[in-house]
Amino acid sequence: MLLDFDRLGAWRWGLIGVGTVVMLFLLLPIVFIAALSFGDSQWLVFPPPGWTLQWYQQLLTDPVWIDSLLTSAKVAVIVTVLSVALGLLASLGLARSTFFGKSALQAFFLTPMVLPVVVLAVALYAFFLKLGLTGTLTGFVIGHLIIALPFSIITIGNSLQSFDPALEDAAMICGAGPIEVKWRVTLPAIRLGLFAAAVFSFLISWDEVVLSIFMASPTLQTLPVLIWSTLRQDLTPVIAAASTLLVALTIVLMLLVSLLKRGTRS
Amino acid sequence: MTTPFLQIRGLRKTYDQVVAIDHVSLDIQQGEFMTFLGPSGSGKSTTLYIVAGFQGPTEGQVLLNGKSLLEVAPNQRNIGMVFQRYTLFPHLTVGENVAFPLRVRRRPEAEIKAKVEKMLELVHLAGYRDRLPGQLSGGQQQRVAIARALAYDPPLLLMDEPLSALDKKLREEIQLELRRIHQETGVTILYVTHDQEEALRLSDRIAVFSQGKIEQVGTGEELYERPTSRFVAGFIGNSNFLPVKVEQMGSGRARAVFPNGHAVEGAASALAAGSEGTLMVRPEQMRIRPAAAAAGHGLAVTVRDMTYLGDSMHFAVQTPWQQEIAVRMAVRDGQGLSIGAPAVLEWDAQHGHVFA
Amino acid sequence: MSTALSSAAVPVRRRFKIGAESRGVKLLLPALLLLGGFFLIPVLTLLLRSVMEPAPGLQNYVELLGSQTYVRVFFNTFMVAGVVTLITLLIGFPTAWLLAVLPKRWSQLMFAVLLLSMWTNLLARTYAWMVLLQQTGLINRVLMAIGVIDEPLALVNNLVGVTIGMTYIMLPFLVMPLHATLRAIDPSTLRAAAICGASRWQALRLVLLPLALPGIASGALMVFVMSLGYYVTPALLGGTNYMMLAELIAQLVQSLLNWGLAGAAAFVLLVVTLGLYAVQLRYLGGGRTGFGGR
Repeated sequence: MLLDFDRLGAWRWGLIGVGTVVMLFLLLPIVFIAALSFGDSQWLVFPPPGWTLQWYQQLLTDPVWIDSLLTSAKVAVIVTVLSVALGLLASLGLARSTFFGKSALQAFFLTPMVLPVVVLAVALYAFFLKLGLTGTLTGFVIGHLIIALPFSIITIGNSLQSFDPALEDAAMICGAGPIEVKWRVTLPAIRLGLFAAAVFSFLISWDEVVLSIFMASPTLQTLPVLIWSTLRQDLTPVIAAASTLLVALTIVLMLLVSLLKRGTRS
Repeated sequence: MTTPFLQIRGLRKTYDQVVAIDHVSLDIQQGEFMTFLGPSGSGKSTTLYIVAGFQGPTEGQVLLNGKSLLEVAPNQRNIGMVFQRYTLFPHLTVGENVAFPLRVRRRPEAEIKAKVEKMLELVHLAGYRDRLPGQLSGGQQQRVAIARALAYDPPLLLMDEPLSALDKKLREEIQLELRRIHQETGVTILYVTHDQEEALRLSDRIAVFSQGKIEQVGTGEELYERPTSRFVAGFIGNSNFLPVKVEQMGSGRARAVFPNGHAVEGAASALAAGSEGTLMVRPEQMRIRPAAAAAGHGLAVTVRDMTYLGDSMHFAVQTPWQQEIAVRMAVRDGQGLSIGAPAVLEWDAQHGHVFA
Repeated sequence: MSTALSSAAVPVRRRFKIGAESRGVKLLLPALLLLGGFFLIPVLTLLLRSVMEPAPGLQNYVELLGSQTYVRVFFNTFMVAGVVTLITLLIGFPTAWLLAVLPKRWSQLMFAVLLLSMWTNLLARTYAWMVLLQQTGLINRVLMAIGVIDEPLALVNNLVGVTIGMTYIMLPFLVMPLHATLRAIDPSTLRAAAICGASRWQALRLVLLPLALPGIASGALMVFVMSLGYYVTPALLGGTNYMMLAELIAQLVQSLLNWGLAGAAAFVLLVVTLGLYAVQLRYLGGGRTGFGGR
């Protein structure tokens, strides 16, 4: 009865009440900053006295913001490609082999996900100081790649698990070479997993703050680093505009994923 | 006349526009084993769930000892129930599962302990008190569920296809136990199944459900010997249906003709003369004789197939209007028949039933 | 004939398998090199510095656990993580429950909101709470307008702000797995409890909660561990007076260049995180959820 919606009696209204409040709580900040980004109050008065696009204008005409946006995009794209490539190789290697210590290795591949990012950030920072990699694109890419890779390995590994390796044998019997088998049989079968891994990797790199704060230099910074350092000084509505653009990007990516899922199901 | 133990009165349940059950009415006597039999979606489970209180009816009334059950929450109805899946509490031991209804009723510890022992003995699981449900077989789990449902001596036990997840052998074993438990405890049982054999084996009376309505209520013998509708005749036992035209309606009997003009009589009720109908005869109540030996009575047919089944012979015969009919006879009565030969098909008039 | 065929087939099959194995190991190399060179070595080096700088010994750990300031940081960290976990559980359980019983179209809508919140940029969400919670922010003005308070409450630059912001961020991480646990429970089990005579409260206490316990425990553990290591949200909402462990580590490196002490603090955080993660794997069946705090 407690798991039958229409026989919950008075409790149903209790649950609906809590659920509604929680949904409003989750939506409030997102809707709020979107509204603020169009408001003309420098001091973030809500509701705003009037409406304006000036914060978006400031954002998109300021070369510092544009540069950081481009850096973010560049890093995220490189990380996405490398993360999917390395993740694919690693999950193929894990799925198709048995050797001593395999599960330990598997656990090792996933530890960057478990570890507090600040520990990794500080450790990498020290390491990169010696190698002269702080403030470089390479530094950003390596840092982001380390935390994106576990998600990539998990996602691709999951889709490989539901792929029957006998299909590869079948293709081989038909005369296809090992590379051709991967290209014509395996990759198409796990393309959804690859796509999901790419989306995850992109979002992780795109949103990454902690590592980036330590990798950044005054001349090279990503969008989140710029938001972070601006936020430490004041709460300008320009950040509301930047945040709203980020939310919009998230929604677009979410819709893309759900459309793709629906497309493959039907 | 005393009030029936459980009365189901004009029960109706609709979901959105779909009618799940439509004016179901039934009286059940104390101590009776009543089975709801029907195909899936016929409304038998919905009726049971309304009695249990998991669903409310759109219309109608359920009375236990003359008092309405509908206002009472399921946990206060004091009814026992066994579900299709075993629904034991997986985190509690067998003993704690059986004790559960007594604990929520805050019975004294000593009473609980004694009762659990007694119930586990009743279902022959005395040594299993400290096992977890996951360690038991399906049949054992279902017996624990029965023990749990009877632990608080409910006057009424509901069973929703309790044996459908078990294999045939186990099913028959537990059917025997159910009969014994019913006799030992005297509890009134409402039992839902889609298996006609199970219904015949267990029940005092059977209510046959079809499309949200009760088609007929009666003992197994009544349903088999005197079905009142084509659906009941088809659902219980094997049957042949032959097309007829009603010629004349008497008191409880109709005179009808086959497409080839051959006239027969059969039990019937309220049929209009001149209407199209169906004559039903059970395969084992028909006889075939070689055409040469027959004296002109009966329906002329051709033998199409003969199968030896050990204790009986199975025949497929073809009527003049090209319909195949199944006949079952004792092996020695089939002497002189051969495939392809003309024959005569006969039955006693009392075994023919004419339906609309 | 058939025996000849099968005996010929077996070695071929074996050779193929061995080939696949060695090739498989080669495929692992790029990831292994990356994580070995840029993850394992740097982290181990940092931990090593905690016992090597400024001089070999455990003095960094003595200082960390002996100083009032640092003990205060530990206290803040564990308290905020504990309170956040508790609040998240209290509102997350009914939410997950509702999600599990709601008709599909409504539960899909709720899921979309949860996912949107989860995937929205962390800084964007934190920024929103900074604005909402400030002295002249919406929350204070609404509370004053309806007469609950006369003067604005201090909701940011203290642990209240951190707790609100962290609860917001952690909620989806609890609701999602807990929802999966609740969905896996057969509703008939609860019907059985009701027909056995259990009231709603009894069914909740004796059946639903015990059955949901593994999900509750692993969800709570995950929220707790993630909260311990979070950096961005506590730093922005907590201000400078209320520091948490992750922020301390960053400060020690960025402002004080005290690598030894930072290494020690990182080691403590690491041990607690990995220890609780091991508990999760060992007793609660793990699952594949990440802990890594931002």
